[in-house]
Amino acid sequence: MKTSACFPLVAILALGAAVVQATVGSTPRGVSPADAKLYVPDNHGQWKCLDGSKTIPFSAVNDDYCDCKDGSDEPGTSACGTGFFYCANIGHVGSSIKTSRVNDGVCDPECCDGTDEFDGQIHCPNICETVGTEAKKEQERVRAIQEKGSILRKEYIEYGKSAKSQLRKELEDLKAKIDELQKAAVDAKDKLDDVNEKLENYLEGSKNEREIARKAQLVPLIEEQTRRLKRSHDAKAFLLKSLQDLKENHNKNYHDLAVKSTVTAFDEFVASQGDEHKSEPLASTEDNDGSDSETSADERLKTLTDDTHVVQREIGTLYDLLAGMKQEYNTEYNDEAVLAAVKITEEFELNWDSDRQEFKDELPLDIPAEESDDTPEAEKLKEETDLAQADYDAASSEESRVEDRISDIERKLEMDFGPDETFAKLLDQCFEFKDSEYTYSFCFFGDANQRSHSTTFLGKFSGWGEEGKKYNTQWYTGGTKCWNGPERSVKLELTCGESNEITSVSEPAKCEYLYKMKTPAVCPVLPESEQGPSTSEPKDKNGAKSHDEL
Amino acid sequence: MDSISSRPSKSKKIILRSVIALGLALGCVSAVKREDFKTCAQSGFCTRNRAYADLAKETPNWTSPYQLTTSSLKLQNGVLTGDLINTQEDKHPSPRPGLSFELHLLDNDAVRVRINERDPVSPRYDGVQDTVLIKPYGLAKDSAYTRLDKDAAGALTIQYGAQDQNKIKVSSAPFKIEFFVNDVPTVVLNDEGLLRFERLRKKEEESKKEEGKEEEGKEESKLVDQDAAGDEVDIKVEKSPLELKLEENLWEERFKDHTDSKPRGPESIGLDITFSGINHVYGVPEHATSLSLKATKGAGAPYSEPYRLYNLDVFEYEIDNPMALYGSIPFMLGHSKNSTAAVFWMNAAETWVDVEKNAEDKDSGLLSWIKSKKAVSTPATKTHWISEAGVLDLFVFLGPTHRDIFRQYSSLVGTTALPQSFSIAYHQCRWNYNSQQDVAEVDAGFDEHDIPYDVLWLDIEHTDGKRYFTWDNAKFPNPTDMQQSLSAKGRKMVTIIDPHIKKDDNYHVSKEGAELDVYIKNKDGNTAFDGWCWPGSSQWIDFYNPKARDWWASQFSYDRYIGSTKSLFTWNDMNEPSVFNGPEITIPKDVIHYGNVEHRNVHNLYGTMFHSATAQGLTQRNETNQRPFVLSRAFFAGTQRFGAIWTGDNMASWEHLEIASPMLLTIGLSGLPFSGADVGGFFGNPDAELLTRWYQAGIYYPFFRAHAHIDSKRREPWLFGEPYTSQIREAVRTRYTFLPFWYTLFHEASVDGTPIIRPMFTEFPEDEAVFATDDQYMVGNALLVKPVSKAGVTRSTVYFAGDEKWFDIKDYSVEQGPGAKEIASPADKIPVYQRAGTIVPKRERPRRSSKAMENDPFTLVIALDSQGEATGRIYLDDGETFNYEQGDYILREFRASNGVLSSHNLKTGSVGKTSEFVQRIGALRIERLVILGSKTKLTKVTVGNGNVAEVECSKAPIGGSYVCTVKEPKVAIGEDFELSWV
Repeated sequence: MKTSACFPLVAILALGAAVVQATVGSTPRGVSPADAKLYVPDNHGQWKCLDGSKTIPFSAVNDDYCDCKDGSDEPGTSACGTGFFYCANIGHVGSSIKTSRVNDGVCDPECCDGTDEFDGQIHCPNICETVGTEAKKEQERVRAIQEKGSILRKEYIEYGKSAKSQLRKELEDLKAKIDELQKAAVDAKDKLDDVNEKLENYLEGSKNEREIARKAQLVPLIEEQTRRLKRSHDAKAFLLKSLQDLKENHNKNYHDLAVKSTVTAFDEFVASQGDEHKSEPLASTEDNDGSDSETSADERLKTLTDDTHVVQREIGTLYDLLAGMKQEYNTEYNDEAVLAAVKITEEFELNWDSDRQEFKDELPLDIPAEESDDTPEAEKLKEETDLAQADYDAASSEESRVEDRISDIERKLEMDFGPDETFAKLLDQCFEFKDSEYTYSFCFFGDANQRSHSTTFLGKFSGWGEEGKKYNTQWYTGGTKCWNGPERSVKLELTCGESNEITSVSEPAKCEYLYKMKTPAVCPVLPESEQGPSTSEPKDKNGAKSHDEL
Repeated sequence: MDSISSRPSKSKKIILRSVIALGLALGCVSAVKREDFKTCAQSGFCTRNRAYADLAKETPNWTSPYQLTTSSLKLQNGVLTGDLINTQEDKHPSPRPGLSFELHLLDNDAVRVRINERDPVSPRYDGVQDTVLIKPYGLAKDSAYTRLDKDAAGALTIQYGAQDQNKIKVSSAPFKIEFFVNDVPTVVLNDEGLLRFERLRKKEEESKKEEGKEEEGKEESKLVDQDAAGDEVDIKVEKSPLELKLEENLWEERFKDHTDSKPRGPESIGLDITFSGINHVYGVPEHATSLSLKATKGAGAPYSEPYRLYNLDVFEYEIDNPMALYGSIPFMLGHSKNSTAAVFWMNAAETWVDVEKNAEDKDSGLLSWIKSKKAVSTPATKTHWISEAGVLDLFVFLGPTHRDIFRQYSSLVGTTALPQSFSIAYHQCRWNYNSQQDVAEVDAGFDEHDIPYDVLWLDIEHTDGKRYFTWDNAKFPNPTDMQQSLSAKGRKMVTIIDPHIKKDDNYHVSKEGAELDVYIKNKDGNTAFDGWCWPGSSQWIDFYNPKARDWWASQFSYDRYIGSTKSLFTWNDMNEPSVFNGPEITIPKDVIHYGNVEHRNVHNLYGTMFHSATAQGLTQRNETNQRPFVLSRAFFAGTQRFGAIWTGDNMASWEHLEIASPMLLTIGLSGLPFSGADVGGFFGNPDAELLTRWYQAGIYYPFFRAHAHIDSKRREPWLFGEPYTSQIREAVRTRYTFLPFWYTLFHEASVDGTPIIRPMFTEFPEDEAVFATDDQYMVGNALLVKPVSKAGVTRSTVYFAGDEKWFDIKDYSVEQGPGAKEIASPADKIPVYQRAGTIVPKRERPRRSSKAMENDPFTLVIALDSQGEATGRIYLDDGETFNYEQGDYILREFRASNGVLSSHNLKTGSVGKTSEFVQRIGALRIERLVILGSKTKLTKVTVGNGNVAEVECSKAPIGGSYVCTVKEPKVAIGEDFELSWV
């Protein structure tokens, strides 16, 4: 053998250090007491890998060379790097780390006894005593919180159970009552129909004349309103196209935030429109110039006016997007697509009143009042009708109130309030978290929002987490769509706390929010004997009010 | 547009009318796509030089008007000098002094050719050499070359080279230089007669020209035809469209809304360079194109635009397009079975390069000199180089092998700096990790999922309002603690520092910069240039100002960069420079640098100047001599001396994964080996399969970093769940096992400029089947890598070059070359093979960071060739200091032959004292030998001193030879040993 003079001494030392099997006691280094029985040689001093793949001399266990496919022969070295190394941590509790962390120059906190680093490259002091003391303190602290939380959680459970049984009882009562209420409503309706018929019969004689006159009176207005609606539709389509062009053609290199936010908002507008407004009802508006006998001229005019207002509100939204960009865009870039959009905005400005959300030249239509026929007979009949109407309204509103309540109760009874109905207490309770820029909020089983100058919808309750720790996570999804991204959503992570409080909000990925919250609702339920004296109502730091009923 | 501006009236149609009018206007605006970046036709000097080339082609018997004055030629001390005259200009009423011509014979077998103006109106910029060349080079001694006298045609020939293998034939009229290696023609300058040197002139001429337009026009057309045969002389009165193009945009030039004032007027240079007998040329990065460059001219050319070299920030760049990207290296290498040659066009101004492949049997006088010796239809690649300003200054490298060329080139522009060893491990980046808490969670995520990583990166959002060297205190209240908790696990952090400085008197960097007057100036030369970038209104540091460089470097000292620690390193982005509101998203060409240098002259070097000043800062911040680590986006020739680069803002698509290989190979062979592409793709959201495949490919990038855009979904390697997490873990761990091999390759590259990842043709230079191959490549000389870059693919065709075996690195299956074969590439692996005849050093223990592997033992994988032989190397040092420069390192060669494996010291010269650390590393043992390719089962392994080591053999799953594992041979990595097997 040709051995150079370069490293002989050190080499021998290092080679010697290669054999590191622990000879103290019978359990090889890194094996937990529970696994000790697996590390025993057979009568011939042989040992079988735990996966049974190979038999090796027992002396090859922990010889710092990986023999077994499953790495089971090296529990005390990094040679395989795939198993677990046990550190006893006397003074604290035993723990296992991956064998890839053995002798890697890092004092792993899990091994407070420092036994994971034994090759002499680094000294890891045994700090188990301190760690143990601290851990005990921490345990006590957590325990204290859990105890307090446990009491509250029990109250939640009690509340939830009794609330649900109360609801069941209420539901029974209401269901018993509902037939009666329905009948009362039907009766009132019959009576109302009766008097109405009388009134109509009385007025029948003059009806046609009146309608024709009224129609003649309203035709110019209907025509005007039809024009306005069409104009609004055209303007909306034009703004949509302008924004679409801006979106497609603007120079993304400039990273102009004003442009980016307008395009984002435009995308959100388009997404929110969905399929509802696929086609314009223009054609039908133009063809039926009020000759439809089914609807009266007044109704028709009202429909047209309402439709116009809807479209104009949308125009207002789109215009504001452009106007906002025009205010803040970077004039130095001379991006042609942006300049074109600005020009359009300027032009639109001339015609558009953004306060009233109307075209400047469109004064409100002056709709003449309908002429009335005030004969005493008619007056009397009208009074009767009004009375019957009031009776009917009362009966029907009572009926629908009870029906609404029934369906509300049924919904709540079907809801998953977690184990033992714990979360029933938190239904519709709302919490907030403020960071430097935004206020984040949500209501349990309701909506989540983000607020600064305006409010952004982050999502609606859509369910619990995955199996395992299912009730430690809630999802709020289907929020406003993000530019170039998903619909916003919130993952709510719950940990045990003595009160309800959002402790942090982050946005790990664009438009995916993570709320971390402390709540008694996920504290362990401790046996009665371990509890301290019961406290009364929880004090919620975020000032949420407790509800008395579901 | 009257209807638009008219006041609103009662007319209900007003809006609709304007709707129509505006709609039309908008239609015009949106007509042109990709309009932000110039085409050749939108660039005055490119248009003029291309028109000149077209004119040459159209003109029968075109001859270059440039001639060397034979009497002026002098050859002494390795330099040939002479006067170069433009015979057209001679006819000028008041002839100006000609051009100076120089040819330098370098002592490393390279040749430099320089052409400059004599007595120009004002000096042309000639400063590129000062920043690009590392030191004055040696010239060939008089005894090293022979001047063979003029031949009948007045040509002068010089013979030189170590074996007198090179011949340089300089022809005077017309001017032409031909290079021969062993009498095989390789490179020819001005073969096509496209040399064109725009002389500086006074703007007054322009106004005179206005008056005497017709007269001058006549003159120019005469010039063009001067050499036409007498009976064909046809004095044109009207200029042809091409001739008119020669005068386009000489002075002020507009592009979109930007005006380039061009106060010095036209000053471009153009030259054609023919690669004789060569079909494939490579280089001139950065472009998202194939490795073998495609034709940009001539019949059937795939591209119509020349390759453009102009550092630009291109948003969502397109693939298979010669448009300019973030970096530029004007280096081109041509290769054929018979010859290899390269040129370096040393010019940092905007440059365009046309490539034309020789049509078979081209019947023109241009190639007659080839035809006189050889049969017809010799292939050739003709290139046309066009730069906007500066002097003509180029190097020709004659090899004769690739390795010679890389050595010759890198001895001029520098080899790659030996990186900190952590920096060749895995980097985790995202725009942005949002807070200290976020950083802690991501860091913990890697440990929890047992995926190693070394560096966590923070993008621009970590700063206080994009003020570099500051922290957003709300999100990063304690950056020092944050870095220390990473560093406790052997991990590092990188923060971004860009060259644009927010204009803000309350920002110390901005204020000091103003006080010291270190910003780039407007064209007036007095006021600081102001543009837009991330922080809004910003100014750009002028790194040409020595004071600025020193001041900048000092910003990195720990007491100035508050919250920085020894484990914090730097990322230089946006250094093309990116200027959001500038022409082509960069700084105007007429802004002024220190010494009254127009930016036009140095644009492509700006990013490198920034990069180097930053590297200087990181070096000098420490009392001990720590190596810097700086990643840059912009680059130029020489960047390798300062750190790594990446290919910029790619996209999460299969096409971008696929193009990464040719892009990195091209950058690597152009002298810049430390490069990578963002794993996963920067823009967009990769699905789990694409991300996994990208990791499997990315572990074979010299620079291995995952990165993602702020609008993309989170994609830390465990977020897609199983089986992807395990597949990515396996990939990243594989990278870590090969780190000793990678580090050895980096060392090799730092010594002689050899690329780290290599195109197939450089390892198999005689196999024509691989000359255009860029979907598989070599890592060093040992590993063959074939990335999978199509969705749903589980079988890949791999080309096994050479006559030897190849061994799968995972299960050691054997494939026999040469030939293509379909290979399984299931979701958990891509084909990677070790070449027979090589020995690869590895460290196979999974660890959480490269630092944690520092004391781990080694494995040698010995792939025996058919003769039973294999060789390999290992280089080891402390991985972080410059002590290796004093000899504090280990360099050894392993050689297997005739059943004996031996280890030899390769350290040469007077070796310095090795440190305790390096001695300790050297004493680490080799725990395992894996011997591949043995036809028989090995039964006994004996170490020199008689120790017998255990050996275990099994059959490889495919291919039949034995895989033998030797356990604990009891030898150290740094010692001499001999070990034999039977």
